[in-house]
Amino acid sequence: MKKTFSKGGIHPVAEKTASAAIRLLPLPQKAMLPLRQHIGAPARATVKRGDHVVRGQMVAEGVSAISASVHTPVSGAVTSIENIMTPWGTPIEAIIVTSSEKEHEADSEIRRLEWEQTLGAKTDLSTAKNIASEEILFHAAKAGIVGLGGATFPAHAKLCVRPENKINTLIINGCECEPYLMCDDALMRNCAPRIIEGTALMIKATSASRAIIAIEDNKTDAIAAISAAIAEAGNASISLEVLQTKYPQGGEKQLIEACTGRRVGSGALPASIGVIVHNVATTFALRQAVTAGQPLIERVVTISGDIPVGERHNYLAAIGTPLSNVPFTIPADKDIHIIAGGPMMGRSAVNLDAPLTKGCCGLTILSGTRRRPTQPCVRCGECVEACPMGLEPYLLSAYGSRQLWREAAAASVTDCLECGACSYSCPSSRPLLDFIRIAKQRARTIKQD
Amino acid sequence: MLATALLLGLTGLAGAFVLYLTARRFHVEEDPRIDNIESLLPGANCGACGCRGCRDFAATCVQRNSLENLNCPGAREGTMKEIASIMGVETQPEAKRLVAVLRCAGSCKVRPIRYTYDGASNCAVMNAVGVGSRECSWGCLACGDCTSACRFGALKIDPGTGLPLVDTSMCTGCGLCVDECPRSLLELRPAGRRERRVWVACSSHDRGAVARRQCKAACIGCGKCAKECPFDAITLAGNLAYINPDKCKTCGKCVATCPTGAIHATFEIKQPS
Repeated sequence: MKKTFSKGGIHPVAEKTASAAIRLLPLPQKAMLPLRQHIGAPARATVKRGDHVVRGQMVAEGVSAISASVHTPVSGAVTSIENIMTPWGTPIEAIIVTSSEKEHEADSEIRRLEWEQTLGAKTDLSTAKNIASEEILFHAAKAGIVGLGGATFPAHAKLCVRPENKINTLIINGCECEPYLMCDDALMRNCAPRIIEGTALMIKATSASRAIIAIEDNKTDAIAAISAAIAEAGNASISLEVLQTKYPQGGEKQLIEACTGRRVGSGALPASIGVIVHNVATTFALRQAVTAGQPLIERVVTISGDIPVGERHNYLAAIGTPLSNVPFTIPADKDIHIIAGGPMMGRSAVNLDAPLTKGCCGLTILSGTRRRPTQPCVRCGECVEACPMGLEPYLLSAYGSRQLWREAAAASVTDCLECGACSYSCPSSRPLLDFIRIAKQRARTIKQD
Repeated sequence: MLATALLLGLTGLAGAFVLYLTARRFHVEEDPRIDNIESLLPGANCGACGCRGCRDFAATCVQRNSLENLNCPGAREGTMKEIASIMGVETQPEAKRLVAVLRCAGSCKVRPIRYTYDGASNCAVMNAVGVGSRECSWGCLACGDCTSACRFGALKIDPGTGLPLVDTSMCTGCGLCVDECPRSLLELRPAGRRERRVWVACSSHDRGAVARRQCKAACIGCGKCAKECPFDAITLAGNLAYINPDKCKTCGKCVATCPTGAIHATFEIKQPS
């Protein structure tokens, strides 16, 4: 029996139908680089209008321990630093870099060669053997690496282990439990050796005694690729754990329980029980930064959903590419939803002129999916059954809609990971998570006071 | 049977006696004026007076034995005089009446709808998700959080504009709607002499061109009104004009001069010839 987490969980249709090959999405002529693509303080721009920048150059630096630098994926001139709209329509400050025709061609050629190199070589753990752990942290911070699973927590801050927390297990999250998305799957299939190299670097940085690469059992090709790469590397401390498919397996606390059987306390960090979780894409990005010296300027994204099968692809896209540059036909339907991310945890994108950011795993285009009308709660308890954190979503949601923030905080609303299993399972189609999210935000501010 | 009835009856009597004694022992003498005053108050517990509710307001009045700085904005006219007569103290001069105004005029006609929102019909939820289904990230979300917060029935969504409409005859200026709006679009302003009020019906801090593109009724921060105002009542901050109600003499010159019609008035404006 394969392992999984014990409480709750749901089984949405996976729909992982995008092609596994990673295509190169052409570099944009104009890249928009938001200063805040991570959790924490916004980065401070280090360039000004009119400056000339080259591909991979830092344009904004992290200001504090929890902050991440931003680099430009295109060479060109900084045309402005202005407020642009996020995909959901809120303003955010961004650096706009425009490249000329010549620069664009040169960058594209360099990028193609770099990618070929990345795909080709065999596993090489010599860098991880010879490098000091402080150096890895330095590279992670310099390259502006953040958690690419969607949480966008600065990677250097997570890798920097406090002396009182001794890390023994490093978990590399390749679950990708979200329906439709398969960017991590594609990365594992195509770049398994690079992920193993990254894992070895992370082991070094955290001085963990073992690393577990966790993959759900529906990704057979990725499992094969990773196990082959592990065998090739011959590193005894890296192992593969195939888990039962269940949403939200990729949640940090769920994954730790599934892999190690240990539970992280309410409000505590995984490091407190000696575990650190990183996404496979973050691992890959760390390898690129340390070994190839490439900052985080590109990531793999999945474009999938109710679009023709021939258009469902995984792309290596530059950070800052406008979402409208992604080639797909919008279904000729009145009720289409374009979601930045997956259908469970993604946010509706209403502005396709917005740039792709570090935390965006892809676009999901759904048609004919209006929400069903909300009906009264029938007290069936499906949401309680589904909640992977063992919370009472119906109650938290009621607190949220009645603005009882203190009561919500007392009912541990801050433990909610916003996976959406409650809303998914509700037979009355109640917008449970919408209200829980508000209650969570407010409860947090109460706790801070 | 008889024994059971007797036993139960006696237990009941003994219990009643204990309760009677306890009630006598712990009886708190309360000023009857508190009840009298409370019966005059609206009972909405809105908190606009600064007390924890109507009963608390009544108790505070009695406790202080003066009506200084105490006013119930929700009560009928003359209520404060009645309270003063119950208390046997001097009446305080009537406080300036406040009413809520909406600092947004982005109706369906002037502000295009960008997409269909099918989430929970709640402004707070909509605001948390993103910008709202209509253009402008500052404007009214029109899901009616304020109308459900109002305990005096003074706020309703106007079906013509799709925006909340303040019924000034019912509005008590308690400020519940002000706290409720996730975008802080409602403001309490003095009702003004003869109900004459002037305010900027826009909250957009976007640059003029952006604001204008998003909404035809937006304040574009041009500053014409500030130049026109003879009383220096208008200030510009972050591409948005603000009329200081303490300095404004409601002459209406700014209303006539505003190029987008973002300044609203409750009275007829004579157009300059």
